[in-house]
Amino acid sequence: MGYKKEPQVFKAKIGEVVIGAGDAAVTIGGENVWSFYSFDAPIEHKPATGIEFSDKGPDRSLPELAAFYEGAESVADIAARACTAPGADFVSLILESADPNGDNIPSEDAAAIAKEAAEAATAGGKPLVIQTTGNTDKDGELIPKIAEAAQGHNVLILAAKEENYKGIAVAAVTAYGQKIGAESAVDINLAKQLNVLIAQMGIAPGSCVMQLGNAAAGYGFEYLASTIERVKLAALTQNDDTLQMPVIIPIGSDAWAVKESLVSEEDFPEWGPREERGIEMEISTAVAALAAGANAVILRHPAAVKTVSGMVDQLM
Amino acid sequence: MKKLFDRVFDGADEMYSIAEKALCDAVEELGGDAPLAMPNTAYYLANFLSYTTRKVTTIGELKEAFEEAKQWNIHDQNMGAVFKTGFGVFMAAEAIEACKYAKGPDPYEGKYHGHLSDAEVRELGVPLVTNDIPGFVVVYGKAPSDDEAVDIIKGYQTRGIFVFLLGEIIEQARRKELNMGFPVRVVAVGPDIWQVAHIISFVNRAAMIFGAVQPGDRWALDDYTFWRIHAFVNVYEPVSDIVVSCGAGAIAMGFPVVTDDEKDMWPVPKSILIQKDTQAFIETSLEARDIKLKITNVDIPVAFASAFEGEIVRKADTRVDFDGARFPSFELVRTLEAHEIEDHSTELFGPDIDDMPEGESLGIAMIAEVAGKNMQTDFEPVFERNFHYFINCAEGVMHTGQRDIIRLRVSKAAFDAGFRLKHLGEILYAKIMSEYDTVVDKCQVKIYTNQDELPALKAMANEVYDKRDERLLSLTDESVDVFYNCILCQSFSPSHVCIVTPERLGLCGAVSWLDAKATNQLNPQGPCQIVTRDRPLDPEIGIWEDVNENVVASSHGNLESVSLYSIMVDPMTSCGCFECICGIEPYSNGVVIVNREHFGITPLGMTFPEMASMTGGGVQTPGFMGHGKHFIASKKFMKAEGGSARIVWMPKALKDMVRSKLDATAKELYGIEGFTDMIGDETVAEDPDALMEFLTGKEHPALGMDPMF
Repeated sequence: MGYKKEPQVFKAKIGEVVIGAGDAAVTIGGENVWSFYSFDAPIEHKPATGIEFSDKGPDRSLPELAAFYEGAESVADIAARACTAPGADFVSLILESADPNGDNIPSEDAAAIAKEAAEAATAGGKPLVIQTTGNTDKDGELIPKIAEAAQGHNVLILAAKEENYKGIAVAAVTAYGQKIGAESAVDINLAKQLNVLIAQMGIAPGSCVMQLGNAAAGYGFEYLASTIERVKLAALTQNDDTLQMPVIIPIGSDAWAVKESLVSEEDFPEWGPREERGIEMEISTAVAALAAGANAVILRHPAAVKTVSGMVDQLM
Repeated sequence: MKKLFDRVFDGADEMYSIAEKALCDAVEELGGDAPLAMPNTAYYLANFLSYTTRKVTTIGELKEAFEEAKQWNIHDQNMGAVFKTGFGVFMAAEAIEACKYAKGPDPYEGKYHGHLSDAEVRELGVPLVTNDIPGFVVVYGKAPSDDEAVDIIKGYQTRGIFVFLLGEIIEQARRKELNMGFPVRVVAVGPDIWQVAHIISFVNRAAMIFGAVQPGDRWALDDYTFWRIHAFVNVYEPVSDIVVSCGAGAIAMGFPVVTDDEKDMWPVPKSILIQKDTQAFIETSLEARDIKLKITNVDIPVAFASAFEGEIVRKADTRVDFDGARFPSFELVRTLEAHEIEDHSTELFGPDIDDMPEGESLGIAMIAEVAGKNMQTDFEPVFERNFHYFINCAEGVMHTGQRDIIRLRVSKAAFDAGFRLKHLGEILYAKIMSEYDTVVDKCQVKIYTNQDELPALKAMANEVYDKRDERLLSLTDESVDVFYNCILCQSFSPSHVCIVTPERLGLCGAVSWLDAKATNQLNPQGPCQIVTRDRPLDPEIGIWEDVNENVVASSHGNLESVSLYSIMVDPMTSCGCFECICGIEPYSNGVVIVNREHFGITPLGMTFPEMASMTGGGVQTPGFMGHGKHFIASKKFMKAEGGSARIVWMPKALKDMVRSKLDATAKELYGIEGFTDMIGDETVAEDPDALMEFLTGKEHPALGMDPMF
């Protein structure tokens, strides 16, 4: 008896979200098969890989990273350089200096930085994803200002949470036409609830992506992977339209904050150079997130971006 | 008396003729080709755009548009015509204003605000949509005095309501040097009634920006303004016809008008309210537009945070000790009619802490009276049970127990910081109004410390508690329309879902049907959702087609069918938080129940943790089931397999806990007296042989029942 191939194509599909303006626009989502199952049905928009940078500049103690950003000092220069990273589908600004536990610069100043980055990204032909502070109060005040400042660039702003989604969703999406991420803490029901609440504010489905949590491989990552899988399972097998937003997972901050990427080579000579370890943490985490079903990942190191997007290209 | 409709039509004619003249003058002065645009907007003349879809850019185009607008001025004696005329009046008013802006971008030279830019529409629109600004008011006319003008403006300001001023009240406020402007949420729009066009332009643009309302879609616009824009109008007497014609448009959008003018004025419920007392405008208006104010802080002299929840006030540190075990004390929530409640009042009947000797023990009663259109008496116990958490959050205040077994201590430090009994009212008010704002509109608190009064009050409270208990008993699975699910535990047990019914509470013991119902109504997107049970497949075993559909969806496809009354056929799953586990005991044809607190072995040869490992995690294991303690005495307990007569063994402590109710159920179902004594426990048997011997001696009914498998 011969082998008969049965394509596993679902009647349901993940929604599409377009980020970026004009030539810089990129679409994520839209698939109706498991991740990378392009043999079951064509996947029109491949999972996107982004490269992130802080408004305080790259970690220049990492030789390869420092070389990549050499000569780029201003946020605009750094953003422009990031746009040239091989394999990067989008760039991402982390507004680190706006963090209330850090420099805590005023929202107006942070919005001006975001505008600078958005202009540089659009000029460089890449969409911009902005990662804010994660502080509920500060983000509630900051995100509407960013959305206003970056008008016309169709940026994706991460993220709205259950505590502050109202003002963020209405200001960013409805008033200024940007895209937002809905952030929940590794729990399918909380993700669903937040999506429902955001939809109730009159936010169209094509304006919102899900940020389901963050973790580095080996550090509770299996919870995140399982949540991504369960969300996709509900979205595709049960046609649950409250869970059909594309999924974005920021990887860089967590991957570079674990012991493997932090301890120095002097302390652990047998582990080899720190930069290589960090890149490997990023790659292994990102690949697992993509396999679980993420539609976009954000990485910090250009070498990791190149490897991960290369893998995506070869699998599609 | 002149008819209301005629006043609208006469007023409309007046507005149209003023517009006609302004337009003629503008054509003469500037010519028909002269460009015409409101500053800083992408929405042309927003009223014309919204109502007629016309994109006016020149004076000539405005003239054409105005000719079309004249067809909106219909003098027919019906509501539709009056409302349409009202919208027409807003176009006529916009035409008057547009002619001014045709001559220059700032016709008011900063004296009045006039037109609102798109940026201002967005800045004000966001908080209006999110309810951070609960609504806006348009105040027109001349207040009875300058002081009262300031009072009403400040009154709205302190309630977070955005204020638009039109007419003489602006001068009154200026004489009193009131700070006005967009940042302080008070905008002096203009001196005449036709500047109302700018406010309506704001409304129309907000509907287009935030509501995605398409120009020309009147139905969508009306829907949006009614449900999403919480606006209302205050007009001081005398109210002229032209103002009445604008009022028609406001009412058409769902914005009620409150006035003190009675002359030729016709009250219309929810639309035109005559309030002779101008100082009561604010309250009348908020009630008419259903605006609820957000309570964000608890105004008490000590810290208030969940960090203080577990704080213990020791005897030596106690300033006053209210002890329900020794003196009549209780706490109670009651539902009243809205008019019976003075919102945010706390009354103290009896002495305050100052008049109590230090360290004294006394009784206390706290009654929170609430009213709300969506309030149900079934919610009362839900709020009441949370008094404990609310009060405990205050630093230096300790609360234990509930109903009439409460204990409340106030520390010396809290007293020295200024804490008095009225602050208990402040805590309860703020928490009830913020936590339950979806159902409570008004709340007042009464505190009783007169020791002579307390016994009678307590007797009254006990009657309420008894009624509630009776209500709980009268609730059966057949007597209610719907069940609820509960997915609270999915964060750690992702495939489990509880179906909660009146006769089968959640397996954790913490979520009864009433709790689930309240959770659902208070938070419609929350963890408890309505489960219909209209399509029975097998009501004896407790299987419904629609319950199964819900289980499939809420378990994200992990479960396909669940029976509510059987331990053998598709038993309900468990997350792991069950109070008890029930498992079949093959020798006796019965079941063993063990509760979490019991450490010993059961006749099944397993302990609680060993049985738990077979039961939790959202897996269906026929023959094993997790459940709440209160389910044991339910008539639906294992109904499919013969009910509670199957119970052959329970730990002694559990037997004592459920004895009275279980005996009553067994008597009703099987006519057996003292059934609980026929059930074995750890004192008679921990192995099957000894258990069988005991059961045979007691002639336990399970021995004669059909095999379970």
